[in-house]
Amino acid sequence: MLLSFENVSYRYDGMEDWALNEVNLTVAEGEYVLVAGASGSGKSTFCRLATGLAPHFHGGDLQGRVLVDGLDTREVPVSQLFGHVGLVFQNTDAQLFNRTVEEELGFGLEGLGLEPAEIKKRLQWVSGVLKLGPFLDRSPHQLSGGEKQRVVLGAILSLRPRLLLLDEPFAHLDPEGSEVLRSLLNTLRGEGPAVVVVEHRLQEVVADVDRLVLFHQGRLAADGPPRQVLGQELTGYGLNLPALVGLFRNWGLDGPPPLTTMEAIQLLASGPPRRFSQTKRTKPREEGSPPSSLNSNDAPVVEIQDLWFGFPGQPVLKGVDFSLWPGECAAILGRNGSGKTTLIKHLNGLLKPSRGRIMVLGRDTRVTKTHELARRVGFAWQNPNDQLFQTSVREEVLIGPRILKAYDPPWCERLFERFGLGPLLDRSPFRMSEGEKKRVSFATALAAQPELVILDEPTAGQDEPFRRELGGLIRELREEGKTVLLVTHDLEFAAEQAPRWLVLAEGRILADGTPERIMADSRTMAASGLRPTQCFEFFQRLREKPLENAHEDFLA
Amino acid sequence: MKTSWLDPRTKLVLAFTAAVILVSLDHWLILLVTAGVIWGVTLPLNLLTSWFKFFRGLGPAVFGFFAIAWIAFDLSTALVAGLRLMALGTVFFLFFQTTSPKNLSKALVQMGLPYAFSFVLTVSLEFIPVLTRRAANIRDAQQARGIPVGGGLRAIRYLPALLGPLLIQAFKLADEMAEALEARGFGAAGRRIRQELLLRAVDWGIIWSSLIALATLLFLKYIYH
Repeated sequence: MLLSFENVSYRYDGMEDWALNEVNLTVAEGEYVLVAGASGSGKSTFCRLATGLAPHFHGGDLQGRVLVDGLDTREVPVSQLFGHVGLVFQNTDAQLFNRTVEEELGFGLEGLGLEPAEIKKRLQWVSGVLKLGPFLDRSPHQLSGGEKQRVVLGAILSLRPRLLLLDEPFAHLDPEGSEVLRSLLNTLRGEGPAVVVVEHRLQEVVADVDRLVLFHQGRLAADGPPRQVLGQELTGYGLNLPALVGLFRNWGLDGPPPLTTMEAIQLLASGPPRRFSQTKRTKPREEGSPPSSLNSNDAPVVEIQDLWFGFPGQPVLKGVDFSLWPGECAAILGRNGSGKTTLIKHLNGLLKPSRGRIMVLGRDTRVTKTHELARRVGFAWQNPNDQLFQTSVREEVLIGPRILKAYDPPWCERLFERFGLGPLLDRSPFRMSEGEKKRVSFATALAAQPELVILDEPTAGQDEPFRRELGGLIRELREEGKTVLLVTHDLEFAAEQAPRWLVLAEGRILADGTPERIMADSRTMAASGLRPTQCFEFFQRLREKPLENAHEDFLA
Repeated sequence: MKTSWLDPRTKLVLAFTAAVILVSLDHWLILLVTAGVIWGVTLPLNLLTSWFKFFRGLGPAVFGFFAIAWIAFDLSTALVAGLRLMALGTVFFLFFQTTSPKNLSKALVQMGLPYAFSFVLTVSLEFIPVLTRRAANIRDAQQARGIPVGGGLRAIRYLPALLGPLLIQAFKLADEMAEALEARGFGAAGRRIRQELLLRAVDWGIIWSSLIALATLLFLKYIYH
C-alpha cells in the first residue's frame, strides 16, 4: 500500500477536539481517489498527516500510525518524505517562491540533490506534460490562476512522487482551467503516481475517480466506488452533490446514481422503469423565478453605455453595454482575466471609465465619489480577509454604516440574526472559520441597506449548507426589490439563482440572456470558455431524443 | 531585468567601492563629475527610461535633503548632500537592475552565507509585487464599504483598516509558505545549486582594480594627509 492510515487520530496543539478521529484508510498504487466532506470535516488535516506535515510541522497529538510508501511519518522527517508524497496546497501564491517558472520547477529537484543533467531531463519532461514550455522564463506570479496551479503541480510532479495529493485544486479555477486540470489528472493516472484529490465540489472529478472517501466531523463516513457511496444516505454531510445525483435523488430514484449525462440517459432508458419511492420524491426547486416586484416601468438601477477601460497598451473593457433592473439577479460569467472584476469595480466608482458612461441609481459614476456610492452599492468580495480589522464582529459590521451615516439599528439586528452572527458578535473576526468570515462579509455588504448587492465568487470553497443559505438570501433580497449581481465560475449556482446571464469575453459582452438560451448557444459557450451545466445537457438531450419508456412526469 | 555579463560578486565589490568613494568625496564639483559618470552607465545598458521612473521616487528625497542642508548649512554642503544621495541611489539602482534576486542569492551562498538566509532575501523581493497587489485589493474592499483609505488626512485615521488586513494576510502567507517550503524539501540536506556562478578573468580584473582604487583613495585621504 502506498498510503495507509492505521487507526489514526490527530488533534492540533492546544485543541481539545480531535480533527481526525480513528481513521482507517489505504490508497494503493495507481489509484485515483476523491476525498470529500464539508468545511471542518478533516480533509486538510488528512493531507497534512499524509505528507508528515502533521505532526512534524504542526506539532499536535498523533495516535495510530501513518505509513507513506512504507515509511512511518512519525519517524521520518518531511525532508525525506517529500520525494515520496507531494501535496499541492490550496493557495497557489504561497507555493511559488522563485523568480521564473523554470526555477520553480527545479527548486525541489535541487533539494533532492540531483545531478544537473537529471534536473534538466525532468524539467523537460514536466514542462512537456503540463504544457509549461512557453512560460519557463516568466515570473510565476504574473500567470493566471490556472497557469499558476499548473506550475505548482509541475514543481511537485518533477519530484516524481509515488503519491500526489491536491487540496481543493478546483476552488479558484474558471471552467476552462478546471477542464484542463481534470484532463491532466486523467493523463497522470496512467503514468504512475496514485492521485488523491480533496474537494468540496464532487462534480469536477467524481466521474473519473476509482474511489470516493467521505469525511464527516473528523471521521471516515464512507469509502467505496463513487456510485455506491453516492447511492447511500448522504443528508447531513454537507456535500455539494453533483447536479445529476441531486436531480435523481430529488426524483426519489433509488440505487446508484448517474455521474455523467450519458449515464443518466442510459439509466432512464434502461427500462422497465426503476422503482422510485413516492415518499422521497420532492418537487424540483423553483429556479430563478423573477419576483413579483420586477416591473419594467421602474428606472434601471445600473445603466452602462459603451464602457471602455484599460491600462496603457492593454484594453480591458471594450464597449460594454447593459442595464440592471430592481429586483433582478444577474450573473457575470467568463474566463479569469476576461474583465469581470474590472467591470464590477466600475459600479461603485473604484474605477472610472476611460470612455462611455455608467449611471448607478441615477448617479454618474464619473463624477460621484466612491464613498457616496458605497451607501447604495454593497460589495461582498471573494476574500473576506481583505476587510477584517476590528476587534469584534459587531464593530466590523457597523463601521461601514456609521461612516456612511446610514446606521439603522433594527436593520442591523435583523442582519445579525439572518446570518446567525448573534452568538459571535463580541468575538474577534480573526478567530473565526473561513465560512463564518464569509457570513460577516455578507452582513458588512448589506449593513448600509444598499439597493445593489454585488457578490464576487460567493460560493468559492464553500460547502452545500452555505450555498443553500446563500440561495435563500438572494431570493429574499430580490423579494425586497434589491438588485443582485453575481460574479462567479459556479455555473450550477448561477443557473439556479440568476435568470439572466451576462457573458464577458475579452472585455466585451458576448451574450446577454437566460441561462437556457446561452447554454444552448455552443459558439458563445466555447468562445467564453464555459461549459453547460450537467442538468442542462441532460434535459437538452432528452428534448432532442425523447425516451420511449421514461416516466413522462419526470420530464414535465 | 537586464542581464549583465559581470558576476554578481564583482558587482557587489564595484557597488561597495563606488559607495565608499561617494561617501568620502566632499567637493561638489568632483561629486558632480563622479555622479555624471555613474549615471552615464545607464546609457549603454539601455536603462535610461527605468532610471527616470526610479528617480521619480528618489527625487523628492534628494531635493528634501538638498533643501534641509541648504537651510541648515550652506549651498555647497547642500549640493554635496543632494548629489551624494542621488549617486548612491543610482549605484543601487544599477546593481538591482542588472542582478536577478536568484543570482544575488547564489552569489551570497557562494560567498559563504547560509542558504536559508539568502533564500529569505530572494523570496522577500519576489513577494513585494504579491503584497502590493493584496494591498490594492484591501484598499478597494475598504473603500467599497465607505472607509476612506484612498488618501487625504482622513485616511490616516483609518490606516488600521489598510494595515490590519495587510499584516494579517502577510503573516498568513508567510505561514502557508513555510508549510509549502517544508513540503517541497527546503529542509533537506545536500541541496544542489545548478549552474554555479564562475568568476572569469574580467571579473577578477574589475575586483582587483576596485580594491586597488579603494585602497589608494583611503590611503590618500586618511594616511597621506
